[in-house]
Amino acid sequence: MTTPTPEAPLAPNPSEPRSALVRRLAVQAGRTARLAGLPVLIALAVGAIVLLVTGNDPVQVYGRLVSEAFGTPSRINATLAATTPILFTAIAAAFAYRAGVFTVGVEGSFVLGGLTAAVLGSQMGDVPAPLSVLIPMGGAILAGGLVAIVPAVLRAFWGVDEVVTTLMFNFIATGLAGWLVQSFFLAKGQANSSTEYVAENAELPALAPPGQASVGLVIALALLVAYWLFMKHTTLGFEFRAIGSAPRFSIAQGLRVRTVLLVALLGAGLIGGIGGGAHALGLVHRYSEGFSASFGFTGIAIALLARFNPIGILIGAILFGALNAAGATVQLFINLPVQIIDVLQGTVMIFAVATIAIPQLRRLRAARRDGANK
Amino acid sequence: MNFDLLLASAITLSVPLVLAALGGAIHRRAGIVNIGLEGHMILGALIGAVVSGISGNWALGALAGFIAGGFSGLLMNVIITRLKGNEIIVGLGYNIVMFGVIGYVLRAAFGVSGTLQFEGLQRMPKIDIPVIADIPVLGALVSGKDPLFWLCIVLVPFLAWALKATTWGVRLRATGASEAASASLGLRTLGIRDGAGIVAGALAALGGVALSLGTVGLFNENMTAGRGFVALAAFYFGRSRPLPTALACLLFGFFDALQIRLQTVGGFSPDIISTLPYIAVVVVLAFTGIRQSRRGARALS
Amino acid sequence: MSTSSTPAPLASPDPAAASCRIGARGISRSFGPVQANVDVMLTVRPATVHAIVGENGAGKSTLMRMLYGLDHPDSGTVVIDDEEVVLSGPRAAIERRIGLVQQELAIIPELSLLENLVLGDEPAHLGRVDWKAARTRADELAASVGIEIDWNADAARTSIAIQQQVEILRLVYRGADVLILDEPTAVLAPAQADELLRLLSSLREAGRTVIFISHKLDEVLHIADRITILRSGRTIAEIERGEVDRAGLAAYIVGDSEVPHSEITRGTPGEVVLRIEGVSADDDRGIPRVDGVSLELRSGEIVGVAAVAGNGQEELAESLIGIRAVSGGTIRLGDDDISSRSVRARRRAGMRYVSADRKHEGLALTLSLTDNSIATPGLTSLARAGWLRRGAVAERVSSVLGRAAVRFGSASDPASSLSGGNQQRVVLGRETSGDTRVLIASQPTRGVDVKGIGYIHDLLRRARDEGAAIILFSEELDELRELSDRIVVLHRGRISGEVDGSSSRAEIGALMLGEHHGDAAS
Repeated sequence: MTTPTPEAPLAPNPSEPRSALVRRLAVQAGRTARLAGLPVLIALAVGAIVLLVTGNDPVQVYGRLVSEAFGTPSRINATLAATTPILFTAIAAAFAYRAGVFTVGVEGSFVLGGLTAAVLGSQMGDVPAPLSVLIPMGGAILAGGLVAIVPAVLRAFWGVDEVVTTLMFNFIATGLAGWLVQSFFLAKGQANSSTEYVAENAELPALAPPGQASVGLVIALALLVAYWLFMKHTTLGFEFRAIGSAPRFSIAQGLRVRTVLLVALLGAGLIGGIGGGAHALGLVHRYSEGFSASFGFTGIAIALLARFNPIGILIGAILFGALNAAGATVQLFINLPVQIIDVLQGTVMIFAVATIAIPQLRRLRAARRDGANK
Repeated sequence: MNFDLLLASAITLSVPLVLAALGGAIHRRAGIVNIGLEGHMILGALIGAVVSGISGNWALGALAGFIAGGFSGLLMNVIITRLKGNEIIVGLGYNIVMFGVIGYVLRAAFGVSGTLQFEGLQRMPKIDIPVIADIPVLGALVSGKDPLFWLCIVLVPFLAWALKATTWGVRLRATGASEAASASLGLRTLGIRDGAGIVAGALAALGGVALSLGTVGLFNENMTAGRGFVALAAFYFGRSRPLPTALACLLFGFFDALQIRLQTVGGFSPDIISTLPYIAVVVVLAFTGIRQSRRGARALS
Repeated sequence: MSTSSTPAPLASPDPAAASCRIGARGISRSFGPVQANVDVMLTVRPATVHAIVGENGAGKSTLMRMLYGLDHPDSGTVVIDDEEVVLSGPRAAIERRIGLVQQELAIIPELSLLENLVLGDEPAHLGRVDWKAARTRADELAASVGIEIDWNADAARTSIAIQQQVEILRLVYRGADVLILDEPTAVLAPAQADELLRLLSSLREAGRTVIFISHKLDEVLHIADRITILRSGRTIAEIERGEVDRAGLAAYIVGDSEVPHSEITRGTPGEVVLRIEGVSADDDRGIPRVDGVSLELRSGEIVGVAAVAGNGQEELAESLIGIRAVSGGTIRLGDDDISSRSVRARRRAGMRYVSADRKHEGLALTLSLTDNSIATPGLTSLARAGWLRRGAVAERVSSVLGRAAVRFGSASDPASSLSGGNQQRVVLGRETSGDTRVLIASQPTRGVDVKGIGYIHDLLRRARDEGAAIILFSEELDELRELSDRIVVLHRGRISGEVDGSSSRAEIGALMLGEHHGDAAS
């Protein structure tokens, strides 16, 4: 399977003069904007068509979405709260993709991580403060890694394609979570199947109460910085990038291919697990059916859109977070089903991986290829 | 527990799976893993319900669903073949868009939240076969089934035959196995893949029709409930060959029926049973992967 | 016959008799500065087997591609049935009943042989394939050339030889009358090659015309009615059957040019560093390519390996560094058996590798020069607790790039921004930095211009003088003679001889073409 590879060299170059660095960053930012802008534009166009067909004014709706996402401090807080889970999953996806490993299993890690944190968190009533958070989070990390371990081992040791195995493990994890909740952790007196709420001292505190954005966001940002430092400044991160962009070269150079494959897949699971834990302890405070609104898949879209660039990941996560946050409340003001958000997100995801060229150029190239091959 | 009832319900539940999985298998043979089956299914379910509801004719509904699915399959396939989108991401994204559009339209155009019911909707007829209906097991197997069940019965051998014995089948398999070599022999590989994409979309949509015009006779936006992915598991399990794929669906349909039974009886968890198809696929992939990797001459690291 | 001046002596061109089924009239073709074909003349008579021979890079494949319309001459024309024609593309060639068998076969492993034969042109009624008719036709085809094929077998389970036969029959099935085969025997075992030659002569008897490229003089002399020899893109001679013997043909191929060397320094061999003992290795298809090679490398010497392409040199190089598993024998570095060690372990023990495939194995083209300079297991020495130290990285990068005098803008530029020669210097700078005990250099000057070649040779000599044991695989005989202290020749995966570095081209050429040292010609 082909994996998109980063086109820009991102290695530390100590001897580079400042002006060159600035220029290079500008060039990179320009390229990223061009690559990422087009899918977003197409998505807006598709959304506009859907809106027009159903008699809505796209300009009005998009305007309303922007104001619902960023209009007031409390709306910004809501946007940041919605940004948090997908920032985690985007980092997880980017982490693996950098090594050329194409996992779609972050969703499963997120779910099982969330359940584990919620269950452990509900038992933390008598546990002293830092431990009462650390224990459920530790459990979440382990659970997230657990979901990834089989695909990781199969890929690293026997070259079994990770895409389908990780996809399957999403469903296995979801089923497992459903069974665990139904059989062991069902809260009494709840309409839908969910666990007990976590103990108060296990909650990740809100950053600016009553807003919902929690310390989880800080953890995610710290993780993003760690991701950036890891890829840029560590030997293993270097090997990630080398293997992701030039696998045969990396084998011939004796880089640690197997280690990288294992760490990439497991790491994505662990990060997904942290995300699920933070979501459970920071926002919803329990695990219930529909715990993850496809956050794992949204993370994939963001990682691809950002071409694995940390700044791009942050911007992408805020963009999607804004859509989610605005979508949840905009229907209070205009008669707009929230599903329009899914249309926009899915379209971005599709066109983040599609190659869009000017049709004429394409035909010309195809003609030349035909001429060359018969 | 009444075994005949269980068997009958297993077969009913496997019909949508078989249709979608056969479509996916054909697409896979042409070289593309179709992650969008779920989206094609839900579209087929909706269109089938709407057209049957308006016309009062189940056959028209099924036909409309089938055609809509074909367009849907073509659209997704074109993004993969012509725009070179990664099949997995495009498929996942396609599902999200499809469910988004349908959920949106339900609310914006029909003014309902999730479930759509039509007064005049005609469900598919159940075809009772006299005499045989009273024979134990056999009666449960073949009597009281809807037309799409019989379509499956015809489709499985037909597709197996077509893959082997028609120019379309040979070229499709060649394209899936080696696109470059096929193109160098003058095959129109992109067109062949588009054709397979249409078949996949149309059959999966028919699977959706089997859901909405089958027993319940209404549309619900959650009615596919991951069946597109079970179908994916089924054609992986059946190595994209029609008969083994259909048998895998039957097995998974049986799990499903068992799960519903057990819900009323208690005991085994339906959630655990629902994971069995996926576990089966991982096991199959692990097996083949380990066997293949034993052969390579080039060392990994 | 010719309109322009013909530089080389064409042996007995007989224009009266020469009815030309397919040929070339003064074809020239350049790729940038490289002249692949220069005023090439070719006359292939109908119902003959015509061999094209020449060293690697002599322009044979380019010529064949133009005869099939895959490429177009800059000047001169293709001739078909005595008529000058312009082939717009392969379709035009197919219409004129010309078919090409490339080295990469278009056989689809998942289909049966019969399906492969008829694919794209199946006998059918209303879309239903008439397998009976197909089978009859297939049997007729096979019988017409005197071979038997199990048509129902899966292609994946059949040997490459059978697949090749099916590919040839497919061309005939599709109506081809002229069959062009690009080194068809290179991938075959000797017995299989014999069978292919019989197939080719059956085709000739059936009135078809065959053109084939080969490096194997015995088979050429055995089957060809006429032989065209290319050297450096020019037609050296066109010879009738029986007009030349083996030695004469070999002389035509390698020529007798002696390139004057400005400065040849030889190494001063020290102790034995690497012992290769009876090493065997298979290619990706599982076909044995290296067959019991034994060799000792000493520090401070360059051992050249000469071989015609496809005689196991790539596989040997890959199994020495550990990319490819050995199927037999042992490799000892010092006293350690490293035969089953990882690439990483071998590199850590001082082994280095310059890959023949610079674009995929030698460099990571999308990554920066910095990244490319430090991508070795020695990376860990640039780090403290897993963190790369900027200073140490910068030092290593400037030492690698400086050592090889790479001309570059910024170390953060991607490797793809450099010219081929400069790219290769990055590779050599990296691979000769640090404590290099053994350097496996495979085609280090491939695709590098003349000036760049000089730099690379200097780098190799410098590494040698610093005490490295170097094994140099090259297709350039002059390069081997200039650099090597001794040259071993590989033929069909075995060492067919070892000669002094200053031996003549003819002597080495004869060994490359299979004459065992000391033996009578086999």
